[in-house]
Amino acid sequence: MTQLVQALVLGLLIGGVYALMASGLTLIFGVMNIINVAHGALLILVAFITWKIWSLSGIDPILLSVVMTPLMFGFGWLLYKGVLSRISGSSPGMSVLLTFGIAITIEGVLNVTAGNRFRSATPSYFSQSFRVLGISLPKAQVFGCLAAVLVLGLLFVVLSKTWTGRAIRATAQNASGAALVGIQSAGVAALAFAIGTATTGVGGSILSVLYPFFPASHYDWISRLLGIIVLGGMGSLAGALVGALILGLAETLTATYVSLQWSTLIFYAVIMLVLLFRPQGLFGSRLRQDVMA
Amino acid sequence: MTFVDSLRARTEGRRAKLTIVALFAALFLYPVILPFAVYEQGVLLLAFLTALMAVSWNIISGFAGYVSLGHSVFLGLGAYTGGLLAESYQVNPLWFMPVGGVVAFVAAALVGMVVLRARGHAFVIITIALLLSMQVLVTNFSGLTNGSNGVNVPLPFWSSDYQNMPFYYIFLVLLLATVAFAAWIRRTKFGTGLLAIREDEDKAAAIGVNTTRYKVLAYAVSALPIGVAGVVYAYFLSFLNPIGAFALLTSVTIVLSALAGGRGTLWGPVLGGFVVSIVSEVANVYGGGSQSRLLVLGLALVLVVLFLPQGILPAVAARLASRRAAKQTVEYTDQAGVAAARTSIVVTPRSAPAAERKAAPLLEIRGAAKSFGGLRAVDGVDLTVEAGSITALIGPNGSGKTTLFNLVTGAMPLGSGEIWFDGTRIDRMPPWERAHLGLGRTFQITRLFKSMTVLENVVAPLPTASWSLMAKDAVSGHEAERARELLDFVGLGRFGSQQAGALSYGQQKLVELAQVLMLEPKMILLDEPAGGINPTLVNRMVEIIRDLNRQGIAFLVVEHNIPLVLDLCDPVAVLSRGKVIAQGPPSIVRADPLVLEAYLGPEWLPAEPVPDAVLDQAALSAKGH
Repeated sequence: MTQLVQALVLGLLIGGVYALMASGLTLIFGVMNIINVAHGALLILVAFITWKIWSLSGIDPILLSVVMTPLMFGFGWLLYKGVLSRISGSSPGMSVLLTFGIAITIEGVLNVTAGNRFRSATPSYFSQSFRVLGISLPKAQVFGCLAAVLVLGLLFVVLSKTWTGRAIRATAQNASGAALVGIQSAGVAALAFAIGTATTGVGGSILSVLYPFFPASHYDWISRLLGIIVLGGMGSLAGALVGALILGLAETLTATYVSLQWSTLIFYAVIMLVLLFRPQGLFGSRLRQDVMA
Repeated sequence: MTFVDSLRARTEGRRAKLTIVALFAALFLYPVILPFAVYEQGVLLLAFLTALMAVSWNIISGFAGYVSLGHSVFLGLGAYTGGLLAESYQVNPLWFMPVGGVVAFVAAALVGMVVLRARGHAFVIITIALLLSMQVLVTNFSGLTNGSNGVNVPLPFWSSDYQNMPFYYIFLVLLLATVAFAAWIRRTKFGTGLLAIREDEDKAAAIGVNTTRYKVLAYAVSALPIGVAGVVYAYFLSFLNPIGAFALLTSVTIVLSALAGGRGTLWGPVLGGFVVSIVSEVANVYGGGSQSRLLVLGLALVLVVLFLPQGILPAVAARLASRRAAKQTVEYTDQAGVAAARTSIVVTPRSAPAAERKAAPLLEIRGAAKSFGGLRAVDGVDLTVEAGSITALIGPNGSGKTTLFNLVTGAMPLGSGEIWFDGTRIDRMPPWERAHLGLGRTFQITRLFKSMTVLENVVAPLPTASWSLMAKDAVSGHEAERARELLDFVGLGRFGSQQAGALSYGQQKLVELAQVLMLEPKMILLDEPAGGINPTLVNRMVEIIRDLNRQGIAFLVVEHNIPLVLDLCDPVAVLSRGKVIAQGPPSIVRADPLVLEAYLGPEWLPAEPVPDAVLDQAALSAKGH
């Protein structure tokens, strides 16, 4: 029983972190209708920078997200303006190839500069745990999840309470309709991409503590996150949240009761099953497509 | 195109062919002339493999337009199949080349059946997930695969004096076979259908292309040569492990090769495969080892997408063509030629002649309804179209006419109600099955496959679901002959080799009609056949419709040109706010107060019979543009 509760709590803690990471990906998809395959590589990039700063200065890695988030916001904005906006209007196939190219480039840069080996940031609380009612909660997981929930909350407030947020949601639902009521879609896309990338600033900082990583880890991460947003419904923020919690739970339960090496397959299996039975995901809706043009 | 120009184009084509033949002859002779250039042979044979994979990738991702980012999974599948079988039977793996191909084909077909039913982004996600999950699966099933410790494949049976020369020739022959295979696919109706899917998937479904089957088959077929080559690759490596066999780097190389060379072209991926392999080898040797190779490939991919998205080969071809076009006088397509064409055609609709037909209506719509959120676009429509009739469907903008067309042809799922066509209930069928029953449609705004030629557009439709029809030649032979006849019939025979996007709007409408006729339809739904085209072409269009109708094809016509409707159609049905408010002969319908109210508003009530001019005016204002 304790083992089950332990697994469930751990699953929810991890799910919170996944939710944050997936929210950026699903936001970008919703607004721009492109799959940002580079999202995982950006996470690993942030994890590397965080790890480097931590190992040089000893500043807490999760705390470093306060710096990394605005940095990644700026980086995302530049990436959109400098690279992605150049192909807006061409086929979705091209945009996926472009973000794939960006992902490989980031991996290549990390390979050359940092070398192809595992890293992990290990602050003082790394191996400590809180003990609550006989359940042990690793401090790193708790801090990571708290940071993730905080940022997710902030994101929801921005999207639902501000004009900018409403503009982003409007564009996500109907780009041409949003343009008709005066929302500049290019500006919104840049903003959405920047915000989506900013979430990797927090996500990557947390990742550097919770998981060992090396340059090619980004494939693993992008697959997990794609699994989450396919389950939740591509483009849906609420869906990403629920999908992340479900997959976080499924992963820890498999790791606890089956074996660690099968737990990563859960994400791929979920992608297949969702596409087989509910291609639009849990929260995705099928909108009328014929009058878009 | 004048005679001289076509001669020049043919000479150019011959020159290109000669270059290719000379190049491959040189590649065949190379090991004979320089048998000790072992390193160079090694580089070249990997270039052959890369080119082979790029050509295969091009079938699903170039022809059909569905991008796969994990295509190296099939190399790994083939390699493991060959390696494991060879290890357990201790024979040379080459015997298992067909098995490797079949395993890759079946795996792709199974995955494709799950993910390719839908459209959009699911496929690309699956291709990444498939490659990574194979790494995990092969590692975890260590009882079968020896996990991360890997598999030792038997060593080559030939004397070590020959080094890799046999592999060199095997990969070269496999590459040529794969190119021939891809070229054959491109020539068939299957290939034309794949291009149609890339251009406009809904439209492809409407002209009888079973898009699911096409996509799944294209994916499976694109896996097959790679699976075969994978077996040879295992033999060549003589050792396999999960990370090496299912390598992401290989996938990147495939994608980059096909893209750089020219996605969707036949020889582009071959060129790209050679260029990318050799550049990446050079970068490896002079650029600081394999650490930097990934960086180079990634940057190259970004740069190609941004600055050379169409690829080297099409860019060069465009440069040559523009040089030729500068010398050539531009030939405008003449409307008069179209209007003057008077050739008739036998269309042999698959229904019996009017006299012998049974009394049941050809199309029967019962209580059809469709809502978009709170909007009931079609609200319980009952409508019948008799065999042999030209029935009109008119009504103000937004009354649900096009939505009703979409429901009948299956472009949208029906909310409730029933649709029967020629004695069969069709409302749950996919669009292509309805097309196979003999139901064709044209679109309000023409939807030709713009980058394909006019002839390819007309060849693309499939009147039946038969597999052998898919394998038929689309460039010459019976199918192309029929398409030429139909083009002659609509008066556009001379434009067969033009890009469809280059035609005028009215000509595109005629091509779309010829396209539908290729289906051998019993009934055609025409969405504004006269909208936006000049009066001469309108007359030709009316003539064509009458001619086809005399031969037994029924029509359901949506049109805002009321005089034309009253002249051409009988009966006329009027749709307003998603309901049929009147149906009958033109003379009755035009005086119906409900119809007048729908068009002119409730305040306007006639005391006298309505003069023609008022009705025409009403039609014009209802048109709203």
